[in-house]
Parts: sequence; structure tokens; C-alpha cells
Amino acid sequence: MGKTSKDKRDIYYRLAKEEGWRARSAFKLLQINEEYDIFNGVLRAVDLCAAPGSWSQVLTKKLRQNTDNEEDVKIVAVDLQAMASLPGVKQIQGDITKVSTANEIIKEFEGLKADLVVCDGAPDVTGLHDIDEYVQSQLLLAALNITTHVLKTGGVFVAKIFRGKDVTLLYSQLKLFFEFVTVSKPRSSRNSSIEAFVICQNFKPPEGYTPTMVNPLLDHKYCDFNQFTGPNRFIVPFNACGDLSAYDSDTSYPLVLEGQSSYEYKDPVQSPIDPPYKDILEKTKCMQIKKQ
Amino acid sequence: MAILTRTDVTAVKMYESFVIAGIGSNLEVYTRDSGNFLQKTTALRGQKIYGIVPSHFESKLLIFGGKQFTISRTKLVIINDDENLVIEDDIESILCDDWLHSGVWLSKNKVAFLTAHNVVQIWNAENQSLENHYASPDNSILYSGLLLPLQDNLLVFSGTVFSEVIIHWCGDDKPLQYLKGHKGVIFSITCDPIKKIIVTTSDDRSLRIWSVKTTLNLEYSSKNYWENADIVCMHEKYGHSARVMRNCITTDYIISIGEDSRICFWDLEGKLLRKLVSHKNACIWALDANDKYLVTGGGDSGVILHPLSLLTEYCTSEIVKIEGSVKKVEFTAKGNIVILNGNDLIYYDLKSKMNDVHKLHHKSTYKLLTLSSCKQIIAVVDKTGILAIFIENCKDEVGIKNIINKELNLGNILSMHWVGNRHLVVCSDIGDITIIASRGTDIEVFGNYTLPPCKERWLTSSSLSDNKEMLVVSDRNGRMHIYLRGNKNPVKTFYRVHGRYGATTIQIVINQIITTGRDGVIKYFSINKHTNDVKHMNSKDLDFQWVEKFLDKNVNYICGFRERVFVIYDIKNNMEILEVSCGGGHRSWDAAHYYEKIGGNFEEFIRVVYIKNSEIQLKTFRLSTMVSKNIINGTHSKEINCLETYTVNSKGKTTFYISGGEDTTLRISRSTLHSKFKDEIIFKQLSSIRTLKLLPLRDNTILLVSAGGRAQICAKIITFNEEISTSEELVNYLIKGTDKKRKQNRNWKDYSVDFDAETRIMDIEVLKNEDSNFSIITGCSDGVLRIFLLENESNIEFKMMKEIKYHETCILKTHLFKFVSKDILATTTTRGSVAFWDMEKVCTDLNPIFEMNTNKSGVNSIDIKVINDNNVLIATGGDDNAIHLNILEIKDIDLKLMKIANKWSSDAYHCSQITGLKLVNDFMVTTSIDQRITLFRLTIQSNINCKFISQTYSDIADIQGIDVISFSKNSIKVCVFGKGLEVLDISCGTQLKSK
Repeated sequence: MGKTSKDKRDIYYRLAKEEGWRARSAFKLLQINEEYDIFNGVLRAVDLCAAPGSWSQVLTKKLRQNTDNEEDVKIVAVDLQAMASLPGVKQIQGDITKVSTANEIIKEFEGLKADLVVCDGAPDVTGLHDIDEYVQSQLLLAALNITTHVLKTGGVFVAKIFRGKDVTLLYSQLKLFFEFVTVSKPRSSRNSSIEAFVICQNFKPPEGYTPTMVNPLLDHKYCDFNQFTGPNRFIVPFNACGDLSAYDSDTSYPLVLEGQSSYEYKDPVQSPIDPPYKDILEKTKCMQIKKQ
Repeated sequence: MAILTRTDVTAVKMYESFVIAGIGSNLEVYTRDSGNFLQKTTALRGQKIYGIVPSHFESKLLIFGGKQFTISRTKLVIINDDENLVIEDDIESILCDDWLHSGVWLSKNKVAFLTAHNVVQIWNAENQSLENHYASPDNSILYSGLLLPLQDNLLVFSGTVFSEVIIHWCGDDKPLQYLKGHKGVIFSITCDPIKKIIVTTSDDRSLRIWSVKTTLNLEYSSKNYWENADIVCMHEKYGHSARVMRNCITTDYIISIGEDSRICFWDLEGKLLRKLVSHKNACIWALDANDKYLVTGGGDSGVILHPLSLLTEYCTSEIVKIEGSVKKVEFTAKGNIVILNGNDLIYYDLKSKMNDVHKLHHKSTYKLLTLSSCKQIIAVVDKTGILAIFIENCKDEVGIKNIINKELNLGNILSMHWVGNRHLVVCSDIGDITIIASRGTDIEVFGNYTLPPCKERWLTSSSLSDNKEMLVVSDRNGRMHIYLRGNKNPVKTFYRVHGRYGATTIQIVINQIITTGRDGVIKYFSINKHTNDVKHMNSKDLDFQWVEKFLDKNVNYICGFRERVFVIYDIKNNMEILEVSCGGGHRSWDAAHYYEKIGGNFEEFIRVVYIKNSEIQLKTFRLSTMVSKNIINGTHSKEINCLETYTVNSKGKTTFYISGGEDTTLRISRSTLHSKFKDEIIFKQLSSIRTLKLLPLRDNTILLVSAGGRAQICAKIITFNEEISTSEELVNYLIKGTDKKRKQNRNWKDYSVDFDAETRIMDIEVLKNEDSNFSIITGCSDGVLRIFLLENESNIEFKMMKEIKYHETCILKTHLFKFVSKDILATTTTRGSVAFWDMEKVCTDLNPIFEMNTNKSGVNSIDIKVINDNNVLIATGGDDNAIHLNILEIKDIDLKLMKIANKWSSDAYHCSQITGLKLVNDFMVTTSIDQRITLFRLTIQSNINCKFISQTYSDIADIQGIDVISFSKNSIKVCVFGKGLEVLDISCGTQLKSK
């Protein structure tokens, strides 16, 4: 496979490299903002599961437009993994299920709460859809849980969601905490992908709710099996977002795009740090893999 | 309940003499030894089964998966002298509030689970209540866990996302031990307290064996033991090339399975003893083992039973000592070996280990040795044409007898092959092909043919038809020539049949020619009985490059070389049965398949002989002790993207499933009963297959067109037969040209970037024009609609007629329908638009006749129904979870006045992308990634009335579409496909109400 073939296969992968984003997912957040204007007036934002950092890049760029004084903008990126540093972004390498992490975020905001929490985290997929969907929902609930600690009333929460077989249970959980919940698919997210994003607006925790890390939020369950099939109880409006003239992630484009006169291959902005398969790559690098 | 379910097998268990498999939410029971299907029962509701745990207390099974568990009773029943296992529900399934990882029986009616939030739950099965739960302070998500019941308590092993295993005493606040070292998520943990080992596998591709050591004299059932134990990782082992999903500990071995389709056998010291590839490129999800067998379940929907044995146990090896320089070895009919050694022909008796040496009177050292198809007659010739023929003694003492010695005056002999048992085909350096036959102790010339001139003008293989009328030969330049008796020159020549080298074997079997070659392919040709015309029908790709020959009369066992390894492959079962690392195919070698009576039973054997380091190596394999056996036949290893069914009505209904998938294969599978599903023909394409269409041509014969990645289009004719279906390949076309053509003659040094867009074909339609003339319409990912013409008359022709660049984004679906007398095509895109094209004018008009927007983003499914001469119902489902119904009013037959007369839409019935939608009579059935199938009744009068009837769950994840198999007043039988396939009978509800 030539090195340009990935550029051909995926227009946003290529654009991300050309525009200096660490991952193609940057466009997803940009397109969500085009539709929902989520950055409006936001100065303090939290990026959960931030690595490799493309959403933090977007936040830095966009939030600075909200003020004359760059110092006012505070962005905290949290991830379990190490991430290459980004100017203007405070990194916390920590676990989002720990109170200490929530406290650290609030400390960073000098006691204030966040205007916006975003989470683009996804688990290592196993290939078994129900497990992957479950782990993704747990990740989202963990993100929601820490969000209830750090988000101001009226704030916005944006997170990746897998639209799988039990996604309505998650919607019902989110609706307890936010007035408006919509699910959205940016043009830069592939049609064939199970991923979508929930945009939860106007944070309004139920009366008497006290944030806690001890009992993690669990996804709701069907009250009985009669609920398992039938018309949806929780209908969450769906929106496609992103300009209609934007590139389409399913479409194949030639290397020289309309309005361009040349093409040049660009290396990825940031390569992975410390993946689990690093050791075996090292081990097999100098060795012929023998069959027996 | 679903009639047929084929999807990831996520749980397997050997129970008594049976194999129980968890397939989606169902259990299927098979007998272990015969592989007979016994029972299918739904155990969980809308949830895959991940664990089957027999109780030690009574005949019960604990079955769990996701957040659910249930308990079943088992009963052994004798039916017709055969033992049958019957599984019955004991309790209704119970829904917990968290994902269950490990489940164990504590007593007759108590079970315990470890959940994904590191909580131990103890349930009373009798009154179905949660008795206790113990949450651990480390509540990170677990990917795996293990509960080990000890005398008074449970020992909990939790595999966290932080790459460590935490061991704690159930109920304690503080863990006892942390096992650190893995670099990724822990996928499995097993523990054998008697062997004092813990085995873990992980995302980091390693298997780790931890030893549990104590200096104190303590029982392992005490907390003290685990608290004070020194647990160290003794072995960090790499045997898999991808994630290692599961492991188990047997008496002698540790077995691990992985995402790379491999099964590794390790000893307790971490030495890799055997590697086995199973489940064809799919992940292996589940395993169970006892001391004799290993059973695995995989992502290919298959369940395979493997003998738990090692290479050294089932193979006998010996080295035959012969002085001199051994050149060639072959097996004889009696299973002994003939050896060409300098100027000697040696017959070696394997039993007595005696040599019988025959001097050859050859002048040249260039000698050719060949055995008749009965393996009894041996011919040796040298370059000068001195021929010696020997025959193996039948009855008398073991040995061979020289029967013919003859000087052929045919010039320099460069090749010689037996065809059958009486004829030899020899080829001289000037291209004279002579067929000679024996006549008493002399020979006679039976026929003369001329090989067309070429470099290295001799034959690699040849075959003569039974009536001796047709001779088929292959030459060194990759050509295959067909000769008819009485004509010196070939009547037909095929070029590059197996790439640039000749075929390794040619066989004529009834009306078929089967050839093998060093391009990894077996090719099948048909012979017309009346005209003797030979036509290429189809090819079979194997996963080893050098395909050498068949070992049995049924043309099922094929052998060859994958680089330096000798491979034997079972075609019928799509399974590799044997590998011998002999060093490669450039040596002299032979293999034989035979039966031998052992203890009253006929056992199947394979014997391989080869020369390595000037020694004759001999290996004998007893197949029953080493060959894995399918309990459930596997199928696609990845998502099925497209599927259509075809039902043949003869002697009871047989449904054929024609499917294409991400694994780049196109499969034709046959299914009769709900337990029987078997791939009959498998074709490969270059990239994923996204779409296929069937067009019936005549009874039980269809035109099958498939397309997908790399802009590849394939067309073939399939005939469904009672025994086995046949196929004829017509077209294999790449819109963008072959790689070679695209790169032209540039080598890697001056390789420059190819700027053209890569194109996937997203959907395809076939329109029959006249006679054998078809239009093929493709919707492509670059937004272009491409139209091709396929002519299948005396010659097959395939050419592009038109490229229409109208849509700006990827086309997702194409759909043809007939309105009055017009053929109209609908195209849908990722931007939610539906455009209509008049097929008559599509090659001249560059714009659609009508366009509308339905869904908010991609339209993933469409069906169209003509209501009357003015109205058409357009039903679409999309990425926005919404179903849209539009009545398109067409006022005139010239298709000029069109408008949308009526609308209906809803997003309340699915919560994910709608990938399948079909209109059947007054019903509409839709399906989605959310694994639900919804049935509606439509009434269309002045407005659209769409009434919800029912919703059904399917075990198939990632549903890509739906096909209607059949329908009646009462029910609709559908097949949904995605990660596997499922056939369901959906009741229309009408009958129920009238009762």
C-alpha cells in the first residue's frame, strides 16, 4: 500500500494533516459547533479522554476568539494516557472516575466551574459490538459523572456515543441531567460508523442530586422485557451537522481537489505514544516471523 | 424464535458427550463425536451468551451474558439408542444492573458473579433475589475477571483497564495482591491453585504465566495463603500476532486463542508446543478443553472440535538411508517408495526396510520418472529416449519387475507423463508430442501432436479423456492446449491459465477439466459433450501459492507449498489439515492418502516423503488423532455487507444464501433445516464486497453480479443443483484498471503518485435488455453513476457505456423499478437526496428527471412500490433513524410532470441508522443497527397511514440489510445480515386478531 492511499481513502484524514490537526476528529467538533454554537461565550472548558489532543486544539483556537485576553481562557485536558503537550492547555494525566481528578480541574479554574465539557473518548474495541457499546456507555457515564462535579448549571456537555441496541437507555439517563439532549452526526463522521455525538444543553441536575464518585452512575435498564422492543420511549432528535458544502467522509476524492493545482504528501501531525503493542513490535522488528 | 442464527460464537462448553454453543442469545446443542445437531433454545433475552457454567451439585447450567443470567436444567434422554441432551428453562432470565464477567456456582441454589465495575454479586437462584453484593474500591471498568470459589469465600481476580490484575478476598476493603506487567487491557485470567499458576492474556499480545509461591505451609483455601504468597510472572510469552482473547489450563497444557485465528498450545513452563490456525481469519472468541478435546468458537460463526494432541504424538517420522545421490522419490500403489539414485532405480519396502535395486541402462543423467495413475507402473526415461518400464508385484514377493526396455527414436525427450494406466505422453525438444501405449513387451505410437513453438518447448502436465478423444496439455509458458484425436494442432488454447508457468496437474473428471498451478488457484473448465468445446467455469483461490496435486479420487484433498511449508487442504470443509515444514517445493517429494485397518476401524492416513539434505524423510500422519472437525461450519469472518436469497422448489424447499462481505469473499451457502448452513462455493474479490444482485435467467439459474472496493465488478452464472451448485465466471472488471495497468511499467524507483480517486462501488443494479444483453448500473463512492453493458452471447463482452457525474457526494443506493412501461432508476446519496433517472434516456440526459430530499443525512435503504398508473410510493430509511414515505405523483407517461403528493415520516421506531427496508404487499419491514426489526401495515388512500404492528429483536450486530425470503398471509420470513445472519419468521398479526 502506498503512503498516499490513506489520503485518498479518507478526505478528513488528509485535511487534518494539511491543517495541522492531530486527528481527523477535530473536524467533528468544528462541525458540531457550526450547528449548535457550543463555544459561544465559553472561557473554561474540559476535554475528557483528550489524547491525542485534537479537540483541545480546536478548543484553544475557538475559545481564544471569545476574549481579548488569552489568559482568561482555561482549558483542561484529562486522559489516562500521556499526551504530547499543547500550548495553552493544562494536562492532567488521571482517571476520570476519581474525585481527585474533579478537584484538580476545579482548582485549575480557580474554584469556578466549567462552561463546557467535551469527551471524544472511545474504548479499545474488541469486535464484539455489545461489549464495545457497553464499555463506551460506561465511559460516557463516567464522563457524565465527573461532569456533574465540574460543570456549571446551564453548561453544555458534548460526548461521543455509539448508537447501538441499547442507546435509548443512555438517552434517558442524560435527560435526567440536561434540558435539551440531541444526537448529531457531523459530516466528517462516516455514514457507516456507529458513532454519533450527544449535545446536552442546559445542565440542570435533578433536585437533591449530590455528585459522588463512590457509586458510579449506571446506565438505566429496561423496567421489564416488554420495554425491550416497541416504539422508542425516549426520542432524541437527530441532526446532521456541518455545512452542506463541506467534504463528505464517505465520498472518494481525487488527490488534487477541486480548486487546487497540486498535491503534496504530509506526514501525520502526531504519532501514537506508547501503544500496548509497542513491545511486540520491538520484539518482532529484527526477527523473521516464523510459522513454526 | 429465530429459525437460523449464524453469528459470533461467544461461548462453548463440552458437557458429557455433547458440545453446547452460545450463539447470540441461543444455545445450540450438538453431539461431540458425530457433530449432529440436537437442539436450539433461547436462553437470554436480547443478549449474547458469554458463559455456560455446569453446576457441580445437580444437572443444571448457569448461563450468563451482558447484564443477564439464567439457569437451565439438563436431561439425558435416549432416543433410538442415541443419547440426547435436552436443555430446559429452570428460571426466567434475570436482569442485573451491571455487566457480568465471571459466574460460578456456590451451592445448589446460589450463584456468584463478578461485574464490570468490580462488584461481586451473590444471587439466590431459587427465589431469584440478590442476596449480597460486595463493591471493591477499585471500580475501574474490568474487561475480564475470575471468581475462584474456595472453602469459605471467593477469591476475586479483576483484570483492569490499567493493565493490572487485582486479587482480593471477597468482602475485604483492601486487595491482597496486584499483578503488574502487562502493557494493555487484560482479556482473560485463569488460575489453577493446585498447579499454583495464574495465566493472563492481554491486548499487548502476550500470555503471562504467574507462579504462586509461599514459604509458609498453608492451604490455598485460606486467605493467609494468598496474602503471603509471592506471585511472580515467570514467563512472558508471545505466540500470537494480535490480541490474545482467552486462555485455559488443562492437565498438561495451557491453551490460548487470539484475534489472529490462532490457537497456541503451551506447556506449563511457557514453551510453545503447537500453533494451529483455525476459524479462517476470524477472531476466536471462546474455548473449552478437557484432556482429550479442545473446542473453539469464532467470529466466523463456526464451532470446531480439535483433538488435544501435539505434532509429536500423531506423527511418525523416519529417515530412509540410501547410499549415493538420491534424485527422486515417489510412492507406489502399495505405499512403498521408488527412488531414483544415480543410474539405479531402487524399490524400498517400508515394512521390511529392504532395498530392491534395478540397474538402468541410461546414457544421459537427465532422467524423468513418472508413475501411472494406479501408481503400479513406473516409467523412467532419459533425455536420449531410453525408456524402462517397471511394474510393482501384486501378489508375489514385494518388489518391482522390469517389463519393457525400449529405445524411443523421438529425439531429445524433455518431458514425460502418464495419462491413465496405459498411455505415456512424451514431448521432444522440437515440440513433438507423442502418446505411446504398451503392447505386450513392446510399445506402439497411439497419437502425434505438435506443441506450438515457444521458449522451453515442453510440457508440465497432461491428461487424456476416458474415450481417448481429447488430450489436454500445459506447456512451460503457461498455455493450456486442447487437442482432439486426428488433429495434430490444438483446437483451442488458453493463455496464462496459472500465470506464467504451466499447470502443475491437469485432470479430466467426467465433463470437467481441473487444473492446478503455482498461482494459488485451482481452475475448473467444462467440456461440452457434443461439441467438445472447453470453457473456463470458475477458479478457487487457496491460501498457499504453489498448488501441486490432489491426493484422493474425490478431488478433495489438495496439497502444495506455502513457501517452505508443505500444506494439505480439505476443500469440502475449507480447512487446512496438515503442515509439514520440509523446506519448500523445489525438492523431490510425494504424498499419499490411504486407509488402514486399526482395531477393526478403517483409519485415514497421509504419508509424505521428501528429500532434505540428501536424506529421504518420511512422515506418516493418522488423521483422526490430529485433524480438527467442524461442529458448526464457519462462514464469513467479517461483516456481511450484502445478501440475497434464492429458494429452489424441488423435493422440499432449499434456500440458498448469496452473500458478500468485508472479508472480500462472495459465498453461496445452502440451508435446509435450521441447524444446517454450509458454504458451497466461495469466490474472492480484491477488496470488500459491498453489493450484489441476482437476476433469474431460467429455472434455477441466475446471473449474479457483485461489486465493491477497488471498483471491481464480477459477474457469473450460477446454477443451483440438488447435489452441488455450479458456477461460470463471466466478468471480472476493474473500472480503474488493474494495478499493473495503472502503474504501467514504472518500477518502484520512478513510482509516482496516482492522482485518481480510489472508488468503491456502493450499490449495483442489473437490467435485462434483450436476449443475453444486460445493463449494469453502479453507484460509486466518488458520486459517479456508471453504466455498463454486458453481452453474453457467443463472446462475453463488458464495456462502459456512460459515466454520469451528477451527485456531489457518495451514492449509497441504487434501485430500479418499472413504472408503466418505463424502467426508472432511483439513486440515493449521503446528503439525503433521492434522484430518479429514466433508463431510456440516461445515456443522453445528464440530469435526473426528478429529485427530492428525504432524510437529514445518508439514505441507507430504499424500496419503491408502484401503487397505480399515477402514483409511486418511495420508502426510505437513513442515518437519521427516520423512515420517510413519499407518494410521488407522475401525471404523464413522459415523466415530465412529477411532484410529491403525500408524505409521512417518523423517527420513533429505531434509535440507530436504518439499514434495511422492504415493502411486501401491504406491509413494510425495516431494520437497523439497533438490532430491531419493525413491521408496519400501510394503507394508502388519500393520505398515508402507517401502523406499527410489532418489533422483533435480532442477535445480529451491525445489521447491514434485510432480504425477504418468502411471505404468506400470516407471516413474513426475512433474513437480516451484518455480523452474521439470522432468519426470522415475523407474524403479520392479522390472523391472531381474527381469532
